[in-house]
Amino acid sequence: MKAHLTRQAPVAWGLVLATILLGWFGRDLAKALDARWLVKVPSSWDIPFNTYISAAMAWLMEEAAVGPVSFTDATRAIAWLIEQPYELALNLLARGFLFDPGPEPQVLLPAASWIAVTAAVIALGHYCRSWGLAALVGACFAYLAVFGQWDSAMITLASVLIAVPIGAGGGLLAGIWAYRHPLGERILSPILDLMQTIPIFAYLVPILFMFGFGPVSALVATIIYATPPMIRITIMALKAVDPEILDFGRMAGTTRRQLMWRVLVPSASQSLMVGVNQVIMLTLNMVIIASMIGAGGLGFDVLAALRRLDIGAGFEAGIAIVVLAIAVDRLSQAFAERMGQVHHTTPGSWAARNKRTVLVLCLLAVTWVLGRFSPLLLDYPQSQTITTGAFWNDTVKYLNVNYFDAFEAVKVFFLQWFLLPIKKTLLGIPWPWAIAMLTLLGWRAGGWKLAALCGAMSALIAVSGLWAKAMVTVYLCGASVILATLIGVPLGVLAALNRRAGIAINLLIDTLQTLPSFVYLIPVVMLFRVGDFTAMIAIVLYALAPAVRYAAHGVRSVSSELIEAGLVSGCTKWQLLRLVRLPMALPEILLGINQTIMLALSMLVITALVGTRDLGQEVYIALTKADTGRGLVAGLAIAFIAIIADRLINAGARGARIRFGLES
Amino acid sequence: MIHNTKLSCRNVWKLYGANAQEFLSSNPAPSGDDIRQAGIIGAVRDASIDIAEGEIFIIMGLSGSGKSTLVRCLSRLIEPTGGQVLFDGVDLLTASEQELIEIRRHKMGMVFQHFALLPHLTVLQNVMFPLTVQAAPKAEAEEKAREVVDLVGLKGREDYYPRELSGGQQQRVGIARSLVTEPDLWFLDEPFSALDPLIRREMQDEFMRLQARLHKTIVFITHDFEEAVRLADRIAIMKDGEIIQVATPEELVLNPATDYVAEFTRHIPRSKVLTVGGIMTPGTQAEGMPVPATARVSEVAEQIIAADAPRPVCDANGRTVGSIGRTAVARVLFGAGEAA
Amino acid sequence: MRQNLRILGAAALTAALSASSAWSAESADPIKLTLHDWSGQLINTKIMGSILQEAGYNVEYVQADYIAQFAGLKTGDLHLAMEIWETTGREALDEATASGKVINAGDTGMTAIEEWWYPAYMKDRCPGLPDWQALKDCSEEFATAETSPYGRYVGGPVTWGGFDEERVEALELDFEVVHAGTDAALFAELESAYQRQDPIVLWVYAPHWAPSKYEGEFVEFPLYSPECYSDPSAGVNPDLAYDCGKPRGPIWKAAWAGLPDKWPGAYQIIQEYNLSNEEMSAMVGKADLEGVDIDTVVADWMSENKDLWSGWISH
Repeated sequence: MKAHLTRQAPVAWGLVLATILLGWFGRDLAKALDARWLVKVPSSWDIPFNTYISAAMAWLMEEAAVGPVSFTDATRAIAWLIEQPYELALNLLARGFLFDPGPEPQVLLPAASWIAVTAAVIALGHYCRSWGLAALVGACFAYLAVFGQWDSAMITLASVLIAVPIGAGGGLLAGIWAYRHPLGERILSPILDLMQTIPIFAYLVPILFMFGFGPVSALVATIIYATPPMIRITIMALKAVDPEILDFGRMAGTTRRQLMWRVLVPSASQSLMVGVNQVIMLTLNMVIIASMIGAGGLGFDVLAALRRLDIGAGFEAGIAIVVLAIAVDRLSQAFAERMGQVHHTTPGSWAARNKRTVLVLCLLAVTWVLGRFSPLLLDYPQSQTITTGAFWNDTVKYLNVNYFDAFEAVKVFFLQWFLLPIKKTLLGIPWPWAIAMLTLLGWRAGGWKLAALCGAMSALIAVSGLWAKAMVTVYLCGASVILATLIGVPLGVLAALNRRAGIAINLLIDTLQTLPSFVYLIPVVMLFRVGDFTAMIAIVLYALAPAVRYAAHGVRSVSSELIEAGLVSGCTKWQLLRLVRLPMALPEILLGINQTIMLALSMLVITALVGTRDLGQEVYIALTKADTGRGLVAGLAIAFIAIIADRLINAGARGARIRFGLES
Repeated sequence: MIHNTKLSCRNVWKLYGANAQEFLSSNPAPSGDDIRQAGIIGAVRDASIDIAEGEIFIIMGLSGSGKSTLVRCLSRLIEPTGGQVLFDGVDLLTASEQELIEIRRHKMGMVFQHFALLPHLTVLQNVMFPLTVQAAPKAEAEEKAREVVDLVGLKGREDYYPRELSGGQQQRVGIARSLVTEPDLWFLDEPFSALDPLIRREMQDEFMRLQARLHKTIVFITHDFEEAVRLADRIAIMKDGEIIQVATPEELVLNPATDYVAEFTRHIPRSKVLTVGGIMTPGTQAEGMPVPATARVSEVAEQIIAADAPRPVCDANGRTVGSIGRTAVARVLFGAGEAA
Repeated sequence: MRQNLRILGAAALTAALSASSAWSAESADPIKLTLHDWSGQLINTKIMGSILQEAGYNVEYVQADYIAQFAGLKTGDLHLAMEIWETTGREALDEATASGKVINAGDTGMTAIEEWWYPAYMKDRCPGLPDWQALKDCSEEFATAETSPYGRYVGGPVTWGGFDEERVEALELDFEVVHAGTDAALFAELESAYQRQDPIVLWVYAPHWAPSKYEGEFVEFPLYSPECYSDPSAGVNPDLAYDCGKPRGPIWKAAWAGLPDKWPGAYQIIQEYNLSNEEMSAMVGKADLEGVDIDTVVADWMSENKDLWSGWISH
């Protein structure tokens, strides 16, 4: 084995060096050989996937039918089904119940008062866990009222209240189906890969056709984006249930249904809640994009504020999204915990047993009745709202006026010594060589199957005519991921080793993940101008989270025996980190980088908004031209890049775990 | 010991690997070499046993010997590759899913090594669970559950969650739960292996106490030969998926079938295995208090050695069947080399 | 209101009973108007909506993306889009009308202007502005580290088109075109440079709040003509096309093709409706710079121009 390795190392390094050299001089070489096809795929080789897809879509929308029921009828029926509970939630929280929505609508019942809603979440917090949680969620909702975000926040909350149960419930059912049928997982797995990696802009237009224009389409898009982690976690959690519990369930004579719902699902509930948490976070991540197609709410406030360059207002609306995310997440976690336990009914009448519910209902009724006389009870008075908008605007202005030169210097340094060399290299590598190298890498990491996958997917990108844009994508993401790793892994290690730093870092990461990137994109543009560097900052900020989290988790879960063994051998703190902790955490760190790549790719469409020229831009252009085929082809190309990266890194991480004996 | 056979298995095979089924049908009695050459793993090989009603039958083997697989074949938690499993004369392997569910609901109970308690249910709810899935009336189920919880000595802890209990207590819950449906056949899969030695001993006593009251037919898995000897009516020793020997503890000690079995028995204090009946001089008479023939030598050694003359030995009906004296006992206690 | 109209019509002119039944034949379903994320469009749409409501129609506003809304207009999920700019939305509008499911409901009376624009302080640093020839001599004034020695011109999002690369080449300007991805990014660049009084020249369009917030003016290029874009020999550069400024064009209204049949009266009003650039700029300024609530701005306009819009209704 050893001899084998030492013989292979020079070959591997040689190939890497050859690739870099080819990258630098590829263009010159192509020119010298008069073989331009080496660096640019000849357009005559392109396969017009986009026209095929557009034609297929047109057929689906206009002609596909089963008997008298056309495809669009079916999707419209689904849309109607989703719309009913949504309308109810929206009426209750934001719009009020109207009678005959005519020119002067009769309000049957106004929307629930801010006082009643805040009281309801406080009661829920207390019911689910404690006064501490009640105070937290109460403060979150009070923030929304005091900072004048209430109305928009309730619209957003209404869509979250619909999207999360559908996403989590649907994900659970799909996961159960895949768990029961071994084939199911094989079918679902690639679909999930695509759902997670194709940017939402790519399929926005077909969704609008299928589900109509309005909040329902936004909900559907949100659900498509937010459900995959739930499905994956469900499959994983069910598989991880102790086999003895499964045996017990069968020995108790349960039917299949009983076994699933009374034994497996409750036993896996802790892990399942992680999935629900993911659904909530991703749903709130989608708020901005959803608002572009009719969801309204806080996302719209962010967009509109930034269009008038009101950075402060955009920031406040963005923070309101974070606050809402925190409240919904903490409540759902506590609620699940509470549901996991079975409770004893205390004797007494219904009202005596449900004091909180009675209280909230009373409050709701009272505010409704008294609200006719004093609008204060229904709507938080506008004159009492606080805004910190001016502060943020001034801060950005201050930084801009006083430190622009420093920012500029940093930017120029990064561009010259980091970004541009990578870009030049990647764009110069002849595509046949790149495909060959990827195939070889796939073969080394995971055998011929992976090699075939890498080869086929990269070749498909080449013949779809998107090679150059794909390389720009790889360059932008690659550079961002390198930077995110360099920042994120040390932060993660610090968070693992120092509790107080850990708390601060966690808070930062949570905020960065839920704060819509749009909010900081525009200030960053002001300080760094449009261009790749700005895009990179946005990507790094967004994609940092998994690098930090996985590194922290990896370092934390190194077994204490190994640490003790290191200490007994006389390791210094630094040696302990370098020789024991980091190597053992390597598989986790690799998975974190993998997730970082996924997030970086999912940010591409957003960075297209600051003028990058990559696949994200291609998707965005296709959207503005309502070109379904073009958008989906570019979206698929992004998905392919993601899948290749994912498979290669996973194979690498598995290799590392096997070497450490953590997996066989 | 002559009772009806409750559970028996005939030529049960469990093979893992590609095309294991076809392999077995083309070669119904493959040798170990055949299996290895076909690239198949033989987890259970040609197991045939009969378990009598009311018997404590222990399957003993080291980890990887196939004992857990065998017991799961007997309960059809695992589908055997070949053979027959007869429970009250019914072949379990041909039973439909519905029939199987009925049998498990009413006639089988099982206790697991790591307790397999449902974490989201209280002690009482865990114990009630098998009745709940049968849709038994709630009040009745609760009453029954309280009864068995009481039986295993957990009265007062009905509303605790499993995580609030010690390992021993958790296993008591597991035992109570497996008994709540009043099964005829009771599987225990290494029930005490995960417990501390002191607790394990206590639980073994508890188990014997329960069995003395309930008279279940028991299939008990363990890797601990001492435990097997202590509890078993009969022991099956497994190695590499094969049953090497089925015998009473005494026979195992006195006549081990192979060196492998002898290796186990060597370190067992013989006085704890051999019964008075096994070492007495049959047909002779003696004076004094009779000693029961089924008693272990260790239990009565002190009084026999202390006595001046041999003591009579009686059977279960009080009939004198022989006598036992100091020398016989001393030989068991100190004569280590005798079995060799 | 609508009820009143009907009673009035029936009482006054029995002969016009057919007219009144034509009114009642119109659907009571809400007409759905799309809202985008810039104030001008919101004001424009809400004025239109208010007028339709005054005329007795039910109206619903739907939040929609500027381009994605065509999907809804085609299917009839949405009915009316009030601002399709000749300059940025023409392609999508043409594609939609070609399908036969969307119709162009005429212009809004407003004209879209888009052109290179610079802050007033640049006049000192680059004498000769607003004439485009001045840019030739002081392109270095506009240079940054990345574009040096060329000047930096911030163009609109790629999707807006605009032929700026071609213009730079045809007019032999030493500028590099950098595309902002959205107009938010575009104006962020302007705000940033304006705060520092740094050089900048960029794509600005009107009606928009920016020309009223920042002091500055549009560059004066040779006037646009269709030949200038299509024929290389026309214009100052005999060899290349695009050697002139950008075209100015109307802002269109786009409607679902079924609208005229379902609400014929409403369609008439929609076609009548028009506003001027000045009116709109004043209202946008009120909303974006003075912070007046958009609904207030709309209500003010409605009360000040009652005669105007009642005229549109009564036709």
